[in-house]
Amino acid sequence: MRMSGRDGRTEQDVLRRVGEASVLILISLADGPKHGYALIQDIKELAEVELGPGTLYGALDRLERLELIESLPADDRRHPYRITAPGAAALRAHLDSLERVSAAARLRLRLGGV
Amino acid sequence: MDDPRATRLVERALRCYPRRWRRRHGDEAAELAALLIRDGASAGSIALSYLAGAAREWLTPRPGQRLSAAACALLIAVCSLSVSAVLLASPAPARAALTPTQAKGTSTSQARGRARCRPGSPQPVPGLIRAMGQPPAMIWEAGRDRSC
Repeated sequence: MRMSGRDGRTEQDVLRRVGEASVLILISLADGPKHGYALIQDIKELAEVELGPGTLYGALDRLERLELIESLPADDRRHPYRITAPGAAALRAHLDSLERVSAAARLRLRLGGV
Repeated sequence: MDDPRATRLVERALRCYPRRWRRRHGDEAAELAALLIRDGASAGSIALSYLAGAAREWLTPRPGQRLSAAACALLIAVCSLSVSAVLLASPAPARAALTPTQAKGTSTSQARGRARCRPGSPQPVPGLIRAMGQPPAMIWEAGRDRSC
């Protein structure tokens, strides 16, 4: 989905359709590479969301196909994953979009007196 | 995973994934399951999560699967047509008995009701019966055997 920013820039929010699990994985990988177990633990701590392992691998596969993350050489049996430059850009665009929607929602709540 | 039953359960769930996926993530997924079970997660919920993931994996279209999807669609279409053809061919005597009544202006449902419930002597339909190559008694028997 293409969106216009306030500065007139057109950005593509590719994360709008990938689902919450994928966004949480990207957020978790933003501070460094992690393998599956570390991702599940981090997301549980960060967002209080417990990802099932099936959901995790589905989201990792999708993000890898979109080239938003990449797999690093295996450490024992575990593959650490790292966010790519397009992945970081997509995450920024998505967070900007969420902030705009959130600001508008707060404003409407104030105006509505709810 | 220390519990062999939990190991078997998770392994069975992982076997439901496509081979490509198992080559890529199989070992890692088994180890992740072991770590989660060690932390107190139930093997059943992990296996269920993998089963749901496997279903999604099979249902998600990929570039390499386009041909097989098209082949499946074609196969389904051929099967549907075959079933329709068999269904159309089977009730020929019953359809033949209804036709003259319809010609007199009676509705289809009324005609069907009379054909099924007529208690008296049979009224064979000469032209159509001959056309089907069956004796008139066949129609009468079919009408009497049905409940009203």
